[in-house]
Amino acid sequence: MRILRFVVRRLLQLIPVLLGVVVLTFLLVRVLPGDPVRTILGQNATEADAAAARARFGLDQPLWRQFLDYLRGLVTGDFGTSIQSGGSVGAEMALRVGPTLELVVIAVTIALVAATVLGVWSARRANRPGDHGIRVLALIGNSVPDFWLGLVLVLVGYSVLGWFPAPSGRVDPDTNLTPLTGADLIDAVLTGNGPAIASAAAYLVLPVLTLVVGVVAPLLRSVRASALEVLRSEPYAAAEAHGLPRRTLLYGYLLRATLVRLPSLAALVFGTAIGSTVLVEYVYSWQGFGQWALRGLLYRDYPVVQASVLMIALCYVVVFLVADVVHAILDPRVRI
Amino acid sequence: MADLRTAGPAGATDQGVAADAGGTRDGRFARVLITTGAAILTVVVVAAVFAPLLSSWGETVIDPASTLAAPGGGHLLGTDGNGMDIWSRVLYAARLDLGIAVAAVALAVVAGTLLGLVAGYRGGWLDDVLMRVVDIFQAFPTFILALAVAALLGNGTLNLVLTIAAVNAPAYARLVRAEVRTLRELPFVDAAVTSGASTAGILWRHLLPNSLTPVRVIAPLNCGWAMLTLAGLSFLGLGVSIPAAEWGAMISLGAADVVGGRWWTSVPPGLALLVCVLGFSLLGEGLQERADAKRR
Repeated sequence: MRILRFVVRRLLQLIPVLLGVVVLTFLLVRVLPGDPVRTILGQNATEADAAAARARFGLDQPLWRQFLDYLRGLVTGDFGTSIQSGGSVGAEMALRVGPTLELVVIAVTIALVAATVLGVWSARRANRPGDHGIRVLALIGNSVPDFWLGLVLVLVGYSVLGWFPAPSGRVDPDTNLTPLTGADLIDAVLTGNGPAIASAAAYLVLPVLTLVVGVVAPLLRSVRASALEVLRSEPYAAAEAHGLPRRTLLYGYLLRATLVRLPSLAALVFGTAIGSTVLVEYVYSWQGFGQWALRGLLYRDYPVVQASVLMIALCYVVVFLVADVVHAILDPRVRI
Repeated sequence: MADLRTAGPAGATDQGVAADAGGTRDGRFARVLITTGAAILTVVVVAAVFAPLLSSWGETVIDPASTLAAPGGGHLLGTDGNGMDIWSRVLYAARLDLGIAVAAVALAVVAGTLLGLVAGYRGGWLDDVLMRVVDIFQAFPTFILALAVAALLGNGTLNLVLTIAAVNAPAYARLVRAEVRTLRELPFVDAAVTSGASTAGILWRHLLPNSLTPVRVIAPLNCGWAMLTLAGLSFLGLGVSIPAAEWGAMISLGAADVVGGRWWTSVPPGLALLVCVLGFSLLGEGLQERADAKRR
């Protein structure tokens, strides 16, 4: 019950932040240089053509009028019409979110498990060679440019070894996969399309690996630090001195206390991963949300920019909210 | 100190000794990290400064006889699709990459610290407004924010510095504000006030030096991160553009060659970037370790 009240209060607090995001993107995208209409008209377009196009997208209206129209649309779930494609922004976005979430969720899950195992292992060997090795590896992982790592993995996995498909999309088009959610692996499983399952999985390996390397390092550092804190604490020393079995010490004392701080960090890393997907999708021609938002930004496609910025902010703050709730469940000391 | 320890219970003694032993070993590892990081960065700076002496081709000199030539022959690391020498460009690129990243972080530290100082000390509506703006900035993953600001500002060296500074400044503002809010409750601030010091004097002489401790640890890490951001922006065509030598832009130009197995256009610039960022990471980690050891 308390958690429910906390969630409602936090959701209410989100409203001003999101409203700020909406106003800010709306204004910034219009105030700063770049004209979306010019990008869809050809070289020979006249001023009259441009004016007609502007009128078609309501860009000839006064700013306050455009803003009210935009807000009215948002309230009814209408994100407007893309200037580039002429299609509904909401429908386009729905197609793009699935593939990207598939990448991010798989990568962050793998990174969480790997960071927990390695971090606890490293902390129990604190300041011995194994621990130093892991920490230096984590530092290297933290310093790798993810888009470059993606290219290197393509070079090794595709060009040299030939184990993985070319970086040209998410699934082999010959498998005739029917898109449902946009997350191809899930779609393949749902439609029972055997070849598509294999193909989608093969296409996923390299981009997921790229993202995992990018996000595992900060998680690993945090797990190691909190595990070390537990190991050096008095309750743990007492438990050890009482001769409790190793399993009880590991699962009952060390692991739970270590994982308490992980949710908020996982939320942060989730955000980093969303940022990285823009680059990783570009490398692997993933055709997901990141590439879509980037195109919108480059062509000054106002409705697309507004929708994608709002979507990212919403996603980010909701993930943080979930993290806080999980934290409260894990740690009974937290009062929410 | 030693007397107190031996007088305490046995457990406490053990723990004290164990912590001390860990402390010195931590200290040695921290020193190794800091030395290695500093050495790497020195090498990069030397490469940037003496690039003309260390390479035989210029930054943007085109050798029309060889485009996409493999390493060897007249070109140590081969040439890119425009016939420019990769080795020379990798060296020259250190200038833009280091320069932009360090300038941006310096600007972010100055701007963020000023905002944080004022907001933390004054409190009230000013604090509320500034922190709400920081909230909005922090409602985005930083790379996305950098992408949006860069796309809106347009490229050009100055704009890139501004972009990267803008996305980093809020974190410093929040950090310094938190420090100042705890510091201003301490007696020495009251003492300064009663002895008639001006607000500016208190901020400058008393609060600023004391609130910079966490900033010093984070700034080097941030420089590495700024380089990755810059390279990422250039990779997407929103940062430095060809023919200027910049690691991210070079990787971008070589990206298409990878599928054909031509590694030399994109692997060397990425490796240079990795090593340079690693230098900053090692330095930052070492400083962090040292600060932690001191606190314990």
